[in-house]
Amino acid sequence: MAAYLSAAFMLIGAAFMLIAALGVVRFPDLFMRLHASTKSATLGVGCLMVAAALQFESLAITTRALAVVVFLFLTAPVGAHVLGRAAYFSRIPLWDGTLSDDLRGHYDASTHALAGPEAPRVPLPEEVDEEQGA
Amino acid sequence: MSHFLLNILLALTWAALTGGFTPANLLLGFGLGFLALQVARRPLGQTGYFSTLPRMAAFVFFFLVEMIIANLRVAADVLTPRWHMRPRVLAVPLEAATDVEITLLANLVSLTPGSLNLDVSSDRRVLYVHAMYADDPELVRRQIKEGFERRLLRITRGLEREDEP
Amino acid sequence: MSTGGVTSVVFGALILAFLLAFVRLARGPSLPDRVVALDLMATLAVGFIATYAVATGQALYVDLALVLALVAFLGTVAFAHYIEKGGRSWRRI
Repeated sequence: MAAYLSAAFMLIGAAFMLIAALGVVRFPDLFMRLHASTKSATLGVGCLMVAAALQFESLAITTRALAVVVFLFLTAPVGAHVLGRAAYFSRIPLWDGTLSDDLRGHYDASTHALAGPEAPRVPLPEEVDEEQGA
Repeated sequence: MSHFLLNILLALTWAALTGGFTPANLLLGFGLGFLALQVARRPLGQTGYFSTLPRMAAFVFFFLVEMIIANLRVAADVLTPRWHMRPRVLAVPLEAATDVEITLLANLVSLTPGSLNLDVSSDRRVLYVHAMYADDPELVRRQIKEGFERRLLRITRGLEREDEP
Repeated sequence: MSTGGVTSVVFGALILAFLLAFVRLARGPSLPDRVVALDLMATLAVGFIATYAVATGQALYVDLALVLALVAFLGTVAFAHYIEKGGRSWRRI
């Protein structure tokens, strides 16, 4: 029974990892690629680790496998956050279909501080250039 | 009291990790756990441990279900040739105040339905989120606030009852 | 299907996923895109090691997966720091 369950978890995990990779290749902008790689890949590895834990049926291995899962669940979002923040800060373009962007103009370019939505917008450097050129 | 239970848990984890439930090993785990708790004394604080544990279990279950739904949705979008997503970058006002609450909430938001935490404002009152399916921005905000934040705060603060808004 | 058959299928899927991640790594277009691809490859490697442990029956490999999961995350954070603080010169990379 455990062997069948383990096989099922392995196949599901592999499917999710493949979907994550497909998403990273297919999605049109960086932030959606981050969606694919944080959610699907993390769940995929989680399934594979559960499969390994079921396969070995030993307490020491189960604990290690769960430690991997917990650690990935904690770090994958943090990785996505630092990377997404850095990418936004260096103005990687959003997809053309993006409907709205509350974050635009709220980063302070020199201090890297981020203001709340009610704060006045900081003009982006190219907008300042336009004003000076005009 | 809750610290004592945590300490026992740490001792058991140590024994499980090293793979030997011998008394000497458990004692060593207890000693190491005691040191670890000593280091983490300040952020742990005082909590109502007994009412929190079942809520935590329920929350973990809820979270796993949400995560699987999120993944199926992303999978559907990856596998079909046309894009269905309506992405937005949204500001979500935060009620969570402490470091632990904000970190947990941000992590949960990143792992579940079509939302990815991008940043927290410097005054820690707003969470900026990239949402993939945000036809209605208010709906996304409400899902985050009522689905996750409320449940999470009930666990971390451990005071409010179920019937409270 | 036997366990050997299942692990073969899983290995195949993971190798395909590696190749796809490599496509994103090669195409870019920006450095953060490449970092996403590298991060995904590290996660794939953790899954690969776990599957290898099952395929060979060697439980020791699970420890390797644990170590890789712990270390891979640091690379992403370092890259992100470099992208955020490192000026604009990477834009052409």
